[in-house]
Amino acid sequence: MKTSRIRGEASAEWRSFLRKPAAVFFTFVFPAILVALFAAVVGAGGGFFEEPQGYYFAGYLAFVVLLTPLSRLSSTVARGRDNRRFEKLATTPLTRVEWLAAHVAVNGVLILAASVLITVLLVTLGGASLSLTPVSVVVTSVAVVVASAGFCGVGALIGRAVSSQDGAIAVSNGVGFPMLFLSDTFVSPDVLGAGAPVVELLPLTYFSRAVRGATFVEGGFAVPLAALVVFSAFFFAAGAYALPWQE
Amino acid sequence: MEQVEADGLRKTYGETVALDGVSLSVDEGEVFALVGPNGAGKTTLVRCLTGTARPTEGEAHLLGSPPEDTDESRVAVLPQEFSPPERLTPDELVGYYGSLYPDEETRDPDALVDEMGLSEARDTRYDDLSGGQKSRLKVAVSLVNDPDVLFLDEPTTGIDPEGREDVWGVVERLAAEGTTVFLTTHYMREVERLADRVALISDGNLIEVGETDAVIREHAGNPRLVVRTVGPAEEAAETVSSDGVGARAEGDELVFDGVDVDGIGGTLDALDAAAVEYDEVRWREPGLEEAYLRLTGER
Repeated sequence: MKTSRIRGEASAEWRSFLRKPAAVFFTFVFPAILVALFAAVVGAGGGFFEEPQGYYFAGYLAFVVLLTPLSRLSSTVARGRDNRRFEKLATTPLTRVEWLAAHVAVNGVLILAASVLITVLLVTLGGASLSLTPVSVVVTSVAVVVASAGFCGVGALIGRAVSSQDGAIAVSNGVGFPMLFLSDTFVSPDVLGAGAPVVELLPLTYFSRAVRGATFVEGGFAVPLAALVVFSAFFFAAGAYALPWQE
Repeated sequence: MEQVEADGLRKTYGETVALDGVSLSVDEGEVFALVGPNGAGKTTLVRCLTGTARPTEGEAHLLGSPPEDTDESRVAVLPQEFSPPERLTPDELVGYYGSLYPDEETRDPDALVDEMGLSEARDTRYDDLSGGQKSRLKVAVSLVNDPDVLFLDEPTTGIDPEGREDVWGVVERLAAEGTTVFLTTHYMREVERLADRVALISDGNLIEVGETDAVIREHAGNPRLVVRTVGPAEEAAETVSSDGVGARAEGDELVFDGVDVDGIGGTLDALDAAAVEYDEVRWREPGLEEAYLRLTGER
């Protein structure tokens, strides 16, 4: 792996992102709207949302950690295939792993920035009580980056499997939204009945448990973080392999 | 030295045969054109030669190695219908593709943008460039590693004549500098102007390979002079033929086969001498298109 090639790819992607106002809006403003809406619902109490605001912090982060890479990577891969960009890249020294690593870097930075925004909003506007120690901040940041890498891989798999950009985003949402609510984020597995075992199979579950373990229920982050690393490594490798470098 | 080689390349997609035992070679410094209609197998052949598709049978070699083992820094490919990230400028795009190669093997991005005549558009996003500028920029990003072998897959399809002329100028310059160019196209004029050798492909088979001029000479037929007569053409044909000038009537026209450009004056003098009146004269030298149509049996 050559860092100069990763830097080159990441730099091009970063510039492209900054020049898409809609992408910037949905990366930062949409999660902020979500936090505001959920914070109001949680603040009202009752129904599914009986826990304190801090409990749902992992869910808010899970929203951006899951949906941003899924939609961005799947559409980027589908568009890149349509525009023959991968065919061009395949004849340069850039490797699939380097390409995906560059996009993980860009998405990781975006998601970390969105996570900071969510944290600030939740603490200041929602009045959430979070344990923000150096350890919890580091663990949360690591979980965000590791999960982003895994979900970038899943996004690449979706982009490879579908035939159009619109289809990629539709499939990303079709995969992402059920996973978001089945991953011990906003809804406890206890209330899922027969669906509860599925929770343990979803990588996002381990993200939300690691973050919650670091920021709300102190100390219980190591095992879920390790599981998240395993899941992400697998999906990153599968996503890199799936990139359409060859017919 | 042979820079590009195909030996019995066959590529199938299910029941469809895209390439059916294609063999060819391209020498160093040559501009080699692969000509054929859409769906003939041009892009599939380029993909097999550059390693982005695996042949079902046969072997390809690029710079003496299998394509997947070739040093990417010595080869560049401009895929058909390639479109780079549309929100970047020429400076950024050339810099981006340059960053994927080792520093010592890349050309100066600023100089390359200037060389491609994009100096005034260097800060304009790709999306906002004209068709010709886009084409030149796509070639520019393919030259950033200063390749020994350049594959251009239909680089002028869908662009205006000005853009096409721009790309032709770039290819001529590269050829003069000794770059080996493998060009696919369905524009015969492009081949006639640029290519040292040409391969004609139809339904996945090479039907002719040779020097462009020789292929035209051998297969395109003779030049022909066509004169529209004022009176009956059959009568005029008999008159001039009796004077020893070979002609035949086709509708209201007289057709003289095998009249080269130097013979036009003499033929018209013969018409005047025979008092044949005419109101239109056309002369056409057959080119690669005629050769292709004759070889494929379409004419």
